[in-house]
Amino acid sequence: MDKKVIITESLTKHYGKVVGVEKLALEVFEGELFGYLGPNGAGKTTTLRLLMGMLRPDGGTATVLGLDAWKDSVAVNAEVGYLPGDAPLYESMTGEGHIRFIAGFNDHGEKEGLRLAERLGLELDRKVSGFSRGMKQKLALILALMKKPPLLLMDEPTSGLDPLVQQTVYEILNEYREDGSTVLFSSHNLPEVEKICDRVGVIREGHLAGTERIEDLRNKRLRNVEIIFSGGVPEDLGELPGVTDLERAGNRVQLKLKGEIDPLIKMVARYKVADFSVSHASLEDVFLEFYGRGKGGDGS
Amino acid sequence: MNWNLVRKTISDRWRGTAIYAGALAAYVLMLTAMFPSFQKMTGVKEMLENYPESMSRFFGVESIDITSFNNFMAMELLGLMFVIIVGAFVFSFARYMVAGELRDGTLELLLAQPIQRWKMLTSKGAVLLAGIVGIVLATVLSVFAFGAAFGIDVSHAGFLAYAPVAIALFVAIAGYSILFSTALYRPRWVVMASVGVTLGFYMMNFAATSSQSLEKLGYFTIFHYYNPLKVLDSGSVPVGDVLVLLGIGAACFAASIYFFQRKDIAS
Repeated sequence: MDKKVIITESLTKHYGKVVGVEKLALEVFEGELFGYLGPNGAGKTTTLRLLMGMLRPDGGTATVLGLDAWKDSVAVNAEVGYLPGDAPLYESMTGEGHIRFIAGFNDHGEKEGLRLAERLGLELDRKVSGFSRGMKQKLALILALMKKPPLLLMDEPTSGLDPLVQQTVYEILNEYREDGSTVLFSSHNLPEVEKICDRVGVIREGHLAGTERIEDLRNKRLRNVEIIFSGGVPEDLGELPGVTDLERAGNRVQLKLKGEIDPLIKMVARYKVADFSVSHASLEDVFLEFYGRGKGGDGS
Repeated sequence: MNWNLVRKTISDRWRGTAIYAGALAAYVLMLTAMFPSFQKMTGVKEMLENYPESMSRFFGVESIDITSFNNFMAMELLGLMFVIIVGAFVFSFARYMVAGELRDGTLELLLAQPIQRWKMLTSKGAVLLAGIVGIVLATVLSVFAFGAAFGIDVSHAGFLAYAPVAIALFVAIAGYSILFSTALYRPRWVVMASVGVTLGFYMMNFAATSSQSLEKLGYFTIFHYYNPLKVLDSGSVPVGDVLVLLGIGAACFAASIYFFQRKDIAS
């Protein structure tokens, strides 16, 4: 997994005075499932559109499968399956019509499209104007997946889907990855990313805050601690290294602890303790702790 | 040209095109049915002759003479109504070519496929051109058919010479309408700009033909090169006028491609 299929260097796009993305340096390796996380308005969709040659960068470069994303966009699009946000479709066309239309640009994919429709339980003989939101999302997914491309770029692929169908989508994405395809999908749903991704990149206000392997994110050892004291409560708990979000209600203390637990245990041992519980923080808590909530964040 | 996109565009637009052609054929039927009666109404003729000259120029004719079929059709159809009806067809088609699909988000779906932007535009433009040609020819053939049915002596050479002039006029209108569709982000703005420019050209031409001091203004409007009565009467195609109109259309279309190649696709 050393070959890079996506490389951006100082990639920048502004919408007037508003920053879309700024000096973005992103790398995605061949064969990985990469989750691109960020709150609404962070720059996820802008990044995907830059990679697809829909937007002209104001600065920097974006290389997809060795090709310039803007200058060679047609060649890039031949190798990429793209799922735009909000599943745009032609209202007067049927599902089958869409599959045939998209297959017509790629000279293949119709059979795979029909097979995926069956797997996702989508009826294709109705016009899209009669589709529910979930059905539209299924069809848009099929159109992105049907040509079995080496790279999939997806903007919130499970949006509007019920949990059972979401699970099917995760299975399909895993199958594509096992076949050698690379998948980058944007999401603001951290549990989803935690479930299926190898790596996650976090974007906030147009800037890449960081990239981590999911395993490493879990290992950041953020713990939730609750202590009930029988007698006095130590006044200097908050001064211990790694202690944050300290809340006290009478003899009950709740806090978050980063890093080593030993100093906390040694301090607490000097007092009379009625109960002591420790749990590992969710990935969401880890994310918020290490990448901050930021402006416009929705806490996920 | 991308034939996959051409097929889809034809599938999307053929009904609307047929409706416009059918409506015009029905209008031609009404006019050809009315003409023999109008010819006999000497009272109406005298009344119309008393109307100011500017009124005849507004309808694109030299004089309001309803005893001549060419003059009658130029005044009642080809001078203004035909421009309005086929113009509406062109505006409706052009607004959806880029701005409409951008608003609906489907442009993103389309350009995610391996198709060059200029091919996308020329494929849709080709279907629009075919629609214009179809409507114009359908109207001309309606004149022949209904004219024969009502025993009217129709100038076949005149109407056949008129067809390329009309097509060239609507190619010019289509050219700048498509340019607005690529440059602007809202379909409504595309229609407003296209209608505004077309109306502006029409009024400029009216002013140029009404006042000697404004005569040269006419050269800057597309309607200076569109004189249906002259073509009907002469029976010959004004090649220079056709080339100017086609040139305007082609130049605007080339500019559309230039802008579209650089346009940010973000709905």
